[in-house]
Amino acid sequence: MMPAPDLQTCHRQVAALTFAVTFCVGTYSAISSQSWRIDETRTAIGFKIDATGFPTTRGHFLHFTGRIRIDFDHPAQSLTNFTVDSASVDVGSRSYNEFVKSSVLLDVARFPTVSFTSTRVEKLDPRTASVIGNLTMLGVTRQIALKVNVETERSGNGRAVAFFATGSIKRSEFGMIFGIPLIDDTLEITVKTRALTDE
Amino acid sequence: MPAWPLPLRLIHWASAALVIGALGLGTYMVQFVQNPAERFDLTQTHKGIGVTVFALTVVRLCLRALKIARKPNGFAPWLLLAAKATHISLYALLLLLPLSGWLMATTTPVRVPTSVFGLFELPYALAPHLLVYRFAQAVHVAAAVALGVLMILHIAAALVHALWWRSRTFAP
Repeated sequence: MMPAPDLQTCHRQVAALTFAVTFCVGTYSAISSQSWRIDETRTAIGFKIDATGFPTTRGHFLHFTGRIRIDFDHPAQSLTNFTVDSASVDVGSRSYNEFVKSSVLLDVARFPTVSFTSTRVEKLDPRTASVIGNLTMLGVTRQIALKVNVETERSGNGRAVAFFATGSIKRSEFGMIFGIPLIDDTLEITVKTRALTDE
Repeated sequence: MPAWPLPLRLIHWASAALVIGALGLGTYMVQFVQNPAERFDLTQTHKGIGVTVFALTVVRLCLRALKIARKPNGFAPWLLLAAKATHISLYALLLLLPLSGWLMATTTPVRVPTSVFGLFELPYALAPHLLVYRFAQAVHVAAAVALGVLMILHIAAALVHALWWRSRTFAP
């Protein structure tokens, strides 16, 4: 198990992984990394965490940025990175959001972002890849692994690659120990995103 | 029997409304609310009501100490004893419920600041401790059940006074 980033970091990592996977899996073309862009309207960086005596919390981040370089011929050369705006976390209500943003959890005042940068992409099969990368959350950087499902599609005059990445982290490895064991240490990350190219 | 002083009567009925609300809300939010954000917000409201009940009960007991309840005549000793035991238990539970709730909030590993209706934050005196939290939770639930049962007994007795014995229980 790779170290776990905090929620935001996870999200970013996942997105990055997804992008990388996409690049890896696709057929090779001369598409440059710059020619891919993330379709933010089709991107959702979310997380899920279970607890004892409290309902499962699912949340997502409203603001993030990400980049993808997809190399379909050489999947291992694909790259991705994501940065999530910690304060944009949404878990369902204003007061609950404020609590998640507080110093015991995301500590957004001290750590405004969570980020993921891929370091290695491995093609598992034509539709699946493993994206390894560094997740930075609460100032702690750990390696995490995301499994990414990839789907290519036509998109108007161009092409699109949809990714669905999942992974889990141990948040305690990032120093986020609040509520353990009543709130699980394991945090699941899901990233849905889509990369577009006009070529 | 003469009526209780107005402040005591007001506190009685305010407490009645708040306690019924807190018992209902506590049961509802734990048993039926599966949306985490909604559960979080309702828990904050529940804690705020509990703090209010505690404060009202402290004021009430101070006022009560100044006013000696007149001993009613013509009732069997066992009935007077039962009434006294019920009233003492009700007062005790009105303190125990908020106190055990505060103990839960202060010892839970999932310590969330208790903002009392946005006015002030409740102090947390003890360090988080899972076993103490479990104990406080058991006490809180048992006390809630006991308070519910005693409230029903209390209301039934009041209705017997008013409807059967025709005493001036609900008289203004």
